[in-house]
Amino acid sequence: MSLFFRDTTNSTTVTWDDLIHDIASTQTYNRFCFKTDFYQILKHIIVSLLCREEIILLDNDFTEDELISLVGSADIGCHERPIDKKIFSDIKSKVDLLQKLQPPIENWSITMFTSGTTGLPKKVSHSFQSITRFVRVSERNISHVWGFAYNPTHIAGTQVFFQALLNGNAIVRLFGLSKDEIYKEIEDFGITNISATPTFYRLMLPADKAYPSVVRITSGGEKFDEKATGQITKIFPNAKITNVYASTEAGSLFASDGNVFSIKPEMLPMVKIENDELLVHNSLMGMSEINHGEWYKTGDLIKIISEDPLKFIFISRKNEMINVGGYKVNPHEVEEAIRSMQGIKDVRVFAKRNSVLGNIICCDIVKIDESMDEPTIRTYLQTRLQEFKIPRMLKFVDELSMTRTGKIKRN
Amino acid sequence: MENLHAVARIINTIHKNRGRQEIDSIYKDSRFREDLGFDSLDLAELTVRIEAEFDIDIFEDGIVSTVGEVLGKIGGAK
Repeated sequence: MSLFFRDTTNSTTVTWDDLIHDIASTQTYNRFCFKTDFYQILKHIIVSLLCREEIILLDNDFTEDELISLVGSADIGCHERPIDKKIFSDIKSKVDLLQKLQPPIENWSITMFTSGTTGLPKKVSHSFQSITRFVRVSERNISHVWGFAYNPTHIAGTQVFFQALLNGNAIVRLFGLSKDEIYKEIEDFGITNISATPTFYRLMLPADKAYPSVVRITSGGEKFDEKATGQITKIFPNAKITNVYASTEAGSLFASDGNVFSIKPEMLPMVKIENDELLVHNSLMGMSEINHGEWYKTGDLIKIISEDPLKFIFISRKNEMINVGGYKVNPHEVEEAIRSMQGIKDVRVFAKRNSVLGNIICCDIVKIDESMDEPTIRTYLQTRLQEFKIPRMLKFVDELSMTRTGKIKRN
Repeated sequence: MENLHAVARIINTIHKNRGRQEIDSIYKDSRFREDLGFDSLDLAELTVRIEAEFDIDIFEDGIVSTVGEVLGKIGGAK
């Protein structure tokens, strides 16, 4: 039996036949996908493709407040409606299903939310063409087994999913597993490809032995230090390691060798460098509520190390987004949430370097109401923000340190 | 023993901050993920709190899985 999806967290093992059977028995469709079970999320995406219906992925840890402000209501179930089951009637096998998912797929879009530069998460939509831009379907990929190490409601997760799905590969969940469980799954299922954040790989170190089945390691989202790369090479002696530059707005754009990114000639007209900042042409972007103009400013500051061919390395972020294990946190959004509490005078949210997640969110708070304490603030924030955005270190101070220009200092 | 108490106190601070039940019995062989219910955010917070108290980055050379391994790093630093 050919494996479609394996999730050890709930002991799920789904074959392609099981998947086809589940799809055939689907009665209703909801364009909002607000689920916890990874298999259900992936199946929801496939059903949306088959029905040519838009799908809006909502993180399962969105709070009620966030749901209301993002989609207008916390009652996701009310969008459920019946579907025409005839759509699935001629899908009898994996081959039939993959046939149905052949491009072009028009009139379909996938929407997800990313941390915006101001306030609330912003909405970004992709067409089938833009979300699968870097999917490579080939005979050589048929036997791949993917270690799934991203949240499926985020861009990186959906891109890995499409790469695996369109090649008819098996997918094994690694996201959220313990180190021992991850290695067990790699061994038991002969995982060949893993795409994950540097944080994910860091949490796998050190290992007692090597895992030869893995032939490709991809990372992205933050800088991967050389020490970690060295250790990863020992664990996966047969793996080629690549870094991918990607964002929710654009998806994957280019791959690197080590930390050096090379731009292929055909991509040259699509990128521009202005004041050391990387700009990407809007034809590469997903559709966003915000109009970026012809060139999208990525906020990433780079250093060119070769003009022809164009090669560069990333130096830092221009804006103040904090990268917490691959998740972007906008300090303003967190400050706004804290400041909205009664009894708080002012707040400063900042990042502290961390060996596990790259960065960890901290905050200094000036209170007016002396009775205001940490548990009260935390309980309140749990109703307002996703867990990864809530400061892990919280300190009450008498006043905030300011920069000379009068702005709150973040570093 | 003293260090075990200190680490147990830090573990429970983290639990309390996330609105979870404190854990009564924390042993040297308690595993962070499986036995103590820690996720990567909790592990990150743990490193910061241990570093503040003991001045050592327990994750510098890779992940630690059990309370005993943390105690080993703290002990080794002294």
